[in-house]
Amino acid sequence: MTGGDLHARMAERFSAYLEGDLPAEEKAALEGHLATCIQCRTNLEQLRRTISSLAKLKEKAPETFLPDIQGQINTRSRGRFFAKRWMLFGRIPFEWVSLAMIVAMLVYYLVSLQTSPTTVSPR
Amino acid sequence: MSLAERLLIGRLRQRDEQAFNEVVRLHGDKVFNLVLRMVGTRAEAEDIAQEVFVTVFKSIDSFRGESKFTTWLLRIAANHSKNRIKYLARRSTDGNGLDGASEAHLADNHFAPGKPPLHGHIDAPDALLEAAEMESLMQEAIATLDEEHRLLVVLRDVEELSYDEIAEITGLPEGTVKSRLHRARVALKEHLEDKLR
Repeated sequence: MTGGDLHARMAERFSAYLEGDLPAEEKAALEGHLATCIQCRTNLEQLRRTISSLAKLKEKAPETFLPDIQGQINTRSRGRFFAKRWMLFGRIPFEWVSLAMIVAMLVYYLVSLQTSPTTVSPR
Repeated sequence: MSLAERLLIGRLRQRDEQAFNEVVRLHGDKVFNLVLRMVGTRAEAEDIAQEVFVTVFKSIDSFRGESKFTTWLLRIAANHSKNRIKYLARRSTDGNGLDGASEAHLADNHFAPGKPPLHGHIDAPDALLEAAEMESLMQEAIATLDEEHRLLVVLRDVEELSYDEIAEITGLPEGTVKSRLHRARVALKEHLEDKLR
């Protein structure tokens, strides 16, 4: 085996080594090689730094993320979901509005029955 | 799946708006970050991440609870991201050079050196600049990978998921995940070495 082959074979194990995933025998062989090979030590250190830089790539969703999604769902569901809240009482369901109108019409009818003349007074 | 998660999913199935808000609050940052690292630009990431949660709201009935909810959610995010990458690649090869969208893409590139880093908690200006440059370099390096390798790096090294979870999300055997991930990491390392030389 050439020196290059040996370095390449050792480098194949770097990820497993860094994650503590290497069997004991292979780990000992790699550590033995690292003790004498500055090239592999440098490569391993660079790989470790690359992985640790990746772990720092954290970004939060924007502030408007939730309202934007709610808006999308509202539009696509034609207002069925995530409709705008009305005053302090929340969204008024369509069924309530219908019921209120029926009750109002009933009241109007009853009141008009009581106020309208039921008998014809003689002259 | 925990009892709390099961209850939350149950409410989500009934299209409970509060339950949906809770899901977005719990998982929004993770989904957004995954998508951002996959596509590389904030405007695209916002659009895709929103689409992911709209899909969740629409398709929650297809979640059978065989995997963790997070795994199912991130699989949707991964698929949406990969589709967008393919779509953007197709669009850029269909047109000649920079089209309007690509220019907007570049203008929106939050990873350009000199721009502040996307992650907070860094105070000193030199550290700020260094972090911005490193982030820009890392994002550029990630973008050189194909979408399959990119996804593995993002899931493992950015989102820090377990190999079990990654295997479930990608549908790849764990051994394949590990070997491809190693190749992707080496490619990133070499790209960074070239840039920093």
